[in-house]
Amino acid sequence: MSIANTKLGGLVAWIDERTPLTATWKSATRLAGYYAPKNVTFWYLFGTLAIVVLVSQLITGIFLTMHYKPNTSLNESGIPLAFASVEYIMRDVPWGWLIRYLHSTGASVLLILVYLHMFRSILFSVYQKPRELTWLLGMAIFIGLAAQTFVGYLMPWGQLSFWAAQVIINAFSQLPFLGQDFTIWLRGDYVVSDATLNRFFSFHVIAFPAALLWLLIHHVPHTVKDIRYFLAFLIVCVAVIFFRPEAGGYFLEYNNFTQANPLQTPQHIAPLWYFTSYYSILRSITYPLFSIDAKLWGVLGMFASMLIFALLPWLDKSSGKTIRQKGPIFKLALALFVVAFAALSYLGTVPTDPQRLLLAQICTFIYFAFFLLMPIYSRMDKPRSNEGRGAR
Amino acid sequence: MGSDEKFDCGRRRLMAAAAAAGSVAGVAAATATLIPFVASMKPSEQAKAAGAPVEVDISRLKPGQMMTVEWRGKPVWIINRSPEMLETLKKTNAKVSDPNSERSLQPNYCKNETRSIKPGIMVAVGVCTHLGCSPTANFRKGVESGIDAEWAGGFYCPCHGSTYDLAGRVFKDKLAPDNLEIPPYKYFGDAKIIIGEETKGA
Amino acid sequence: MNKLFIRQILIALLVMPFSAMAVGIDIQLDRAPDRSHDQAALQHGARVFTKYCLTCHSASFMRYNRLRDIGFTEQQIKDELMYATEKIGEPMKVVMRRADAQRWFGVVPPDHSVTVRARTSALGPGEDWIYTYLRSFYRDPMRPSGWNNLVFQNVAMHHVLWEFQGEQVLEGDPSGKTHKLKLVTPGKLSPAEYDNLVADLVAYLKYMSEPSAGPRKEVGIYVLIALFVLLAFAIVLKPGFIKLEKRP
Repeated sequence: MSIANTKLGGLVAWIDERTPLTATWKSATRLAGYYAPKNVTFWYLFGTLAIVVLVSQLITGIFLTMHYKPNTSLNESGIPLAFASVEYIMRDVPWGWLIRYLHSTGASVLLILVYLHMFRSILFSVYQKPRELTWLLGMAIFIGLAAQTFVGYLMPWGQLSFWAAQVIINAFSQLPFLGQDFTIWLRGDYVVSDATLNRFFSFHVIAFPAALLWLLIHHVPHTVKDIRYFLAFLIVCVAVIFFRPEAGGYFLEYNNFTQANPLQTPQHIAPLWYFTSYYSILRSITYPLFSIDAKLWGVLGMFASMLIFALLPWLDKSSGKTIRQKGPIFKLALALFVVAFAALSYLGTVPTDPQRLLLAQICTFIYFAFFLLMPIYSRMDKPRSNEGRGAR
Repeated sequence: MGSDEKFDCGRRRLMAAAAAAGSVAGVAAATATLIPFVASMKPSEQAKAAGAPVEVDISRLKPGQMMTVEWRGKPVWIINRSPEMLETLKKTNAKVSDPNSERSLQPNYCKNETRSIKPGIMVAVGVCTHLGCSPTANFRKGVESGIDAEWAGGFYCPCHGSTYDLAGRVFKDKLAPDNLEIPPYKYFGDAKIIIGEETKGA
Repeated sequence: MNKLFIRQILIALLVMPFSAMAVGIDIQLDRAPDRSHDQAALQHGARVFTKYCLTCHSASFMRYNRLRDIGFTEQQIKDELMYATEKIGEPMKVVMRRADAQRWFGVVPPDHSVTVRARTSALGPGEDWIYTYLRSFYRDPMRPSGWNNLVFQNVAMHHVLWEFQGEQVLEGDPSGKTHKLKLVTPGKLSPAEYDNLVADLVAYLKYMSEPSAGPRKEVGIYVLIALFVLLAFAIVLKPGFIKLEKRP
């Protein structure tokens, strides 16, 4: 134990006595009835890192908000003010480029961490009784983050910003009972316009961050604090931010360096990489079923593929608590799912053709089969003799 | 004890009724409070007022050419279809999912084989009926078009691959359910079109 | 044996979508030489841009005084590069009105501040696209401008640098694979000299698309070094966990 550590411990104790902060933290933890397994620190790291990145997003966001203008009217050179203000941050604001790259890279890194965090949750079946509520809160955070990145993506008002918003908002018009009126309400206009940009800005900087923080306080049961992991993680992030901020067009898409043009869809559009798997599912459903249009099925499939994770606590009937104890059938299913997810993610970034469509359809089938058949195959693995040991 | 109980019972009922009424009032008040906030997100008067008719000069549009103008924030295409292009509509008749535009959006005066007032000049909202992308015109034929060998010219949506013929009719088994929307428009002389104004008595 | 088989299937499944990728591209981009550290080339490019491009294309995010980054003095910028404006803090705007441009060309010439970044695609980096584009103009009597371009078919722009390159014609079908450009009338520059001029211009456009790219990489190296030093300390000293809470 170093001296610095004891001092820090003293400081924490001092704060503890005077604020309800850690008490809230602890009570939330106890509520979840959560025990951290030993020797799995590595897999438990992602959640903690995600919190670190989220805080970084909040801080960089505060500073970007000082310079960004959610305004679609054109300046004298014919460029929308929103688009121009992002380039203003990149050029005229001292160190603005760094803050912007931190924010744009942070969004992608956050989603990478969330996906890894979800993967380890399935690996260790952490959502099983009595932790269903923690899992559901986590799922709410996942959906909240998806919404947050989606509205945030409109901010630069580039071609992809505009058309991604156009396509996704129109997807809502397919949902039963909501229909056209809902999308007009959501846009505040009959087309994606200045009104849409302004309300998305409001969601992005006030409504969603507040909701996410509230959810997070009630979700997080346990954090890992090992500075070595943090530093290693930072090194990877810094390498991306300073040397490949576009990450080959995955973190910052090249088409988005062209200002939004409501009259022309780019030849090739794709959502940001973390949505491409769901987008592939939307594209792959081309059969009308039960006299309902393929269009509606595609949209339902897309939303279902994101929401179905929430059902995991009730689908997973396996008795093993960690992947080592799980039988080969569950492992194979999970591996197939990961491959299908990766393949769908890739297919969503490229234009479709009949061959790729078929592949996407097969992967969509695997995707849903992983969840819907789980109550069957997760029971098929024989429980091991050492069941229950080390699960806590 | 007994009389006390009776008294309590009545009081409890009164309390329960009051609580129920209170909750109803509370919920009503909360809903009433929500209304202005939810309603504030509807299109403003400014947004509703936008969308004046657009006047377009088509005198320079040669057969086989197409131009795009903005109307209510959406792209509107004007295509001068050559007789040869119009001929292709007979062939695509069997391949499109709504050949007579029964369930598609168009003014009544455009609900015909060519989906236009004058057979040659096509006016359509260039927005895919699937998820709202703007399709790309592809007037090349056959394999050269890069779509398929039987392609006779039409529109291809880059987002999800829906295809339309030269009258904006969607082909079968595509994600888009309906034909391209035809906006209300009228002629002003031979060389001018006003988009957004109805043709009267047509 | 069984495990190996499963692994092979998994790898095959992962690779499958990627193998379907190499279709549908028939333009080959030439590599633009990397001159991002060559100040003379950047300055030459800036001169070409302000003289030949800036008449129609703005660079409204680029301020003239920023050209000091690539070695110009303030006096040089004022005397040799500023044609359209008086104030050195102004961005590079065009004099032409947008409505006029729309009428004359049918399209407003795009702003070129971030063109290099926007032009990056599956074909290759944006600088390669522009490098190839500016060298692929050919005579086409069917076009209103008299010019066409292999990389950007039916582009509205005419060949502004034609005096330097000369006139090329297209042999073969542009949509087929056999097409080739042939120089029929030589220009003021030899083909090698013209390529050099375009390379300098492209280097400048690339600089302009992200002026912070230079400092970004420089700062990045220092930050990485600092983090590695901290990591070394962390590994040697093993500060371990800072516990905020005791687990039950």
